[in-house]
Amino acid sequence: MAKLKSVLGYSVAALGIPIMIAAVLGIRLFLNPNAFISATGLEHSANWTGGEVVQTIEHGTYQTDVHRPVFDALIGEHKKGFVQVAWRPPEALPARIDEEIDADADGRADFRIELETATKQASLTPYSPNVIELQGVYDLGETLAIRVRLKNPRQ
Amino acid sequence: MTAQALTREGTPRMAIWKALLLTLPIVPFAAAALANDLMSGEAQLIEIIPSLLIWILLTVFFFRMLVTGKTHRYRSALFILLAFAVPLYLIPQLFELYGTNMLTPEMTYAAKARFCPMTMGMVILPAVLKGVVIFPGAIVEGIGWFFLWIGASLVIGRGWCSWGCIFGGWDEFFSRLRKKPVVKHVDRKWRFLPFAILLAIVLLSAITFHPIYCEWLCPFKVVSEFEAPTSLATTVALVIFPLTFFGLVVALPLLTKKRIQCGLFCPFGALQSFFNKINIFELRIDLDKCSQCKRCFRECPTFSLDEGSLVSGKALMSCTRCGQCVDACPKGAMSYHIKGTRIGISPNAARLLFLYPAYILFCGFGANVIADALWRVLRLITTGSMI
Amino acid sequence: MHGFLLGLANGTSCLALCAPVLIPFLLSEGDNVHQNLVTLLKFLGGRLLGYLLFGLLAWAVGGLLLAAGGYQTLLIGGTYVGLSVLLLVAVFRKKRPTPGGCALSEAQTRFRRWPALIPLGMGLLAGLKVCPPLLLAFTDAASSGTLGGSLLLFVTFFLGTTLYFLPLPLLGAFTRMPDLRIVGRFAAVIVALYYLGSGILLFAGGVQL
Repeated sequence: MAKLKSVLGYSVAALGIPIMIAAVLGIRLFLNPNAFISATGLEHSANWTGGEVVQTIEHGTYQTDVHRPVFDALIGEHKKGFVQVAWRPPEALPARIDEEIDADADGRADFRIELETATKQASLTPYSPNVIELQGVYDLGETLAIRVRLKNPRQ
Repeated sequence: MTAQALTREGTPRMAIWKALLLTLPIVPFAAAALANDLMSGEAQLIEIIPSLLIWILLTVFFFRMLVTGKTHRYRSALFILLAFAVPLYLIPQLFELYGTNMLTPEMTYAAKARFCPMTMGMVILPAVLKGVVIFPGAIVEGIGWFFLWIGASLVIGRGWCSWGCIFGGWDEFFSRLRKKPVVKHVDRKWRFLPFAILLAIVLLSAITFHPIYCEWLCPFKVVSEFEAPTSLATTVALVIFPLTFFGLVVALPLLTKKRIQCGLFCPFGALQSFFNKINIFELRIDLDKCSQCKRCFRECPTFSLDEGSLVSGKALMSCTRCGQCVDACPKGAMSYHIKGTRIGISPNAARLLFLYPAYILFCGFGANVIADALWRVLRLITTGSMI
Repeated sequence: MHGFLLGLANGTSCLALCAPVLIPFLLSEGDNVHQNLVTLLKFLGGRLLGYLLFGLLAWAVGGLLLAAGGYQTLLIGGTYVGLSVLLLVAVFRKKRPTPGGCALSEAQTRFRRWPALIPLGMGLLAGLKVCPPLLLAFTDAASSGTLGGSLLLFVTFFLGTTLYFLPLPLLGAFTRMPDLRIVGRFAAVIVALYYLGSGILLFAGGVQL
C-alpha cells in the first residue's frame, strides 16, 4: 500500500510538468479563445459596454444609438443604474446636438440632452422622475457617448 | 565523496555533470519564452541582446539551484527582478498605446484595462452564475490568464505566490533589505486577514458587479495602471493605493523582515492557499532530524510555520513553497515533499519535480517581461526614451 | 397574495444585498445554529420594522417624499454609515456572560443586555438601506391611500423574502472552528469600512450605486 501511494505520488507530481507546459503554452497553441468565449457565452458586464443598442435614430449624416437601461446585478436588479446614448460617426456630428431621448421605450421622452460636440460639454433636462443626473460625456473612439443615471422603475 | 554531498546546512547538493544534464530541459523553455522577439524577424541587436542575456541568466540560475542545493536565494533574485521589470515593461507599453497609464472612463468602457491574475477571485462568481465578466479588460486576455492560473495552481498550489506572481517581488525585496527585524512578533490572528479580505471582496464584487479590490485596495496600482481621478471616489482611491503600497509593501516588510502584503493581506494568496490542500507538493519537517531550533519559522516570510508545525511536521496551508525554510534548516530536516511518499527519502527528487513546473511557470511569462524591461532600459540609455 | 409573490420573486435580491453584512456577522459571533437562528430572527424583525415604519411614513406624507428625490441619497448614505457603525460595535464589543448573583440594579442589568439589540438595529438599517420594497411602499401607499392595505402588502412581501434567509443560521455549524470566527470578524470590519466609506462618499455626492 505504501509503495502504491508512493508510485501514485511521484506519477502525479511528474504529470505536473506537462500540465504546466500546457497551461503556459497551450492557450496560445491549442485553445481558440474566441471559440471558448462563444461556447460559454461570456461577455463583458454592461457596466463597461453600456448594454445592447435597442434603438437607432437616423439623422441623415449621423445616427443616435440608445442602449438599454442597465440595472444589472448578480441576482435581480440594482435600484439605480444608467442608460448610455451614443452618436456616430464622430467626424459627421454637428457642432451641437439637441435631442430628446426615450430611454425606456415607452413612447415618451425621458430627458433632453444638449451636447456641444467639440467641447464635449452637455446639459441634461430630465422629464421623467426616474432620471437622476448626467454622469458624463465620453469619447469612445467610434462614438461620442453620454451616460445618464437612472432609478430603476421596477424597484 | 558521493554524488550528493551535504552542505553545511544539510541541503543535498548535486554533482556538476548531473546538474548540467537536469538543466538541459529548462534551456528550451527559457529560450521559447524569448522566441517572440527572435521569431518576429524584425528584432534589432538592441532587442536580441537582452533576450539572450535573460536566457543565459535563467539557465545559469537553474543550474546553480541544482548544484548548490539552494532554492531560495536564486528564486528570490529572479522574483525580485520580475517585480521590478513589470512596471518597466507595462507602463511604457501603455504610454505607447494610449499616451497614459491612467485608465480613463473611456478606456474602461472600451475594456482596455490589462487583465491581472489577481482578479480571478472576484470575476469567477459573476462569470459562472451570469456569464458576465466584471473586469474591464479584454476577455481573450482574461481567458488566457484563467487557464494559466488554473493549471499552475493545480500543479504547484500556492507556489504561484513565490514563483509566478508579478508583484510579490516588491514585498520580498523590502523584506530582505534589513539584516534584523525591528518588529519581531506579529500576532497569529493577522494570518486570517487575507481570508477575510477574500470573503469580503468576493461578496461585495458579486453584489456591485465591480472589481472591488482593484478599485479600492490593490497596492500595486502604484507600479502598474490605475483609474484616472475623474470623481471623488477615484480620487480617494488614488490616495489609498500609495498608502497601502508604502505601508504593506515597503514599511512593514522593512520592519518585520516578512512579506506582509503577501502573507497578511493579499486575498489572491488566500485563494491560492486552498489549492495547497489538493496540491501534490508540500513542505515537510522530518521530526527525527529536527532539533526544534525554530529557525524555520523565524525565516518563513509568510507566517506559514508555527509551533504546531514542529509537532505535525507540516507547513500551514499558506505556504508559498519559496524554499527559504529548506535552505535555512541547519539539520536538513525541512524538504520539499510529495504527498503519499515517505519523508526524507529522495528529497532531491521531490524538489526537482517541483522545480521543473515552477521554473516553467516563471519562464512562461516572466522571461519575456524581464527581457523587454531590460531592452527598455537599454533604449533609455541609448536614445533617451523608453518609448 | 400579490405581496407574497412579489417577495418570492425579489427575495434572492434581498438576500444577496444583505449577505455581505449577515455572513461575516454570523461567522464572527461564533454562535451555534440555534443561537444564529435567534440572531437572524432579530435581524428579520428589524427589517420588518423598517418596512412598516416607511409604509406608515409614506401613507402619512404620500407623494411628497417621492418628489423630493435628493433626500434618498442622504437617507441611503445615513443608513450605510449607521450599518457600518453597528457592525463595528458588534465586532469590537466584548461579550460578557449574563450577570447573575451580584447586586446589580435593574437598570444596570438592562443596560448590559443592549448588545442583544444589535442584530435588530442592523436589520432595521439593512431594510431601509437596500431592499426594493422601500420605494414600493412609497408608490403603493401614495396611490392606495389606505394604511391597512399598504402595511398588509409589506407584511406579505416580507414573508415572501424571508424564506431565502432561513438557511443562514446553518453557518453556526462552521463556527466550531475558531479560525473561521476570526475570519468572520475581520470580514465584518472590512465590510463595515466599505459601507462607511460608501456612506460618506454618498453624502459628498461622489459615488454612484
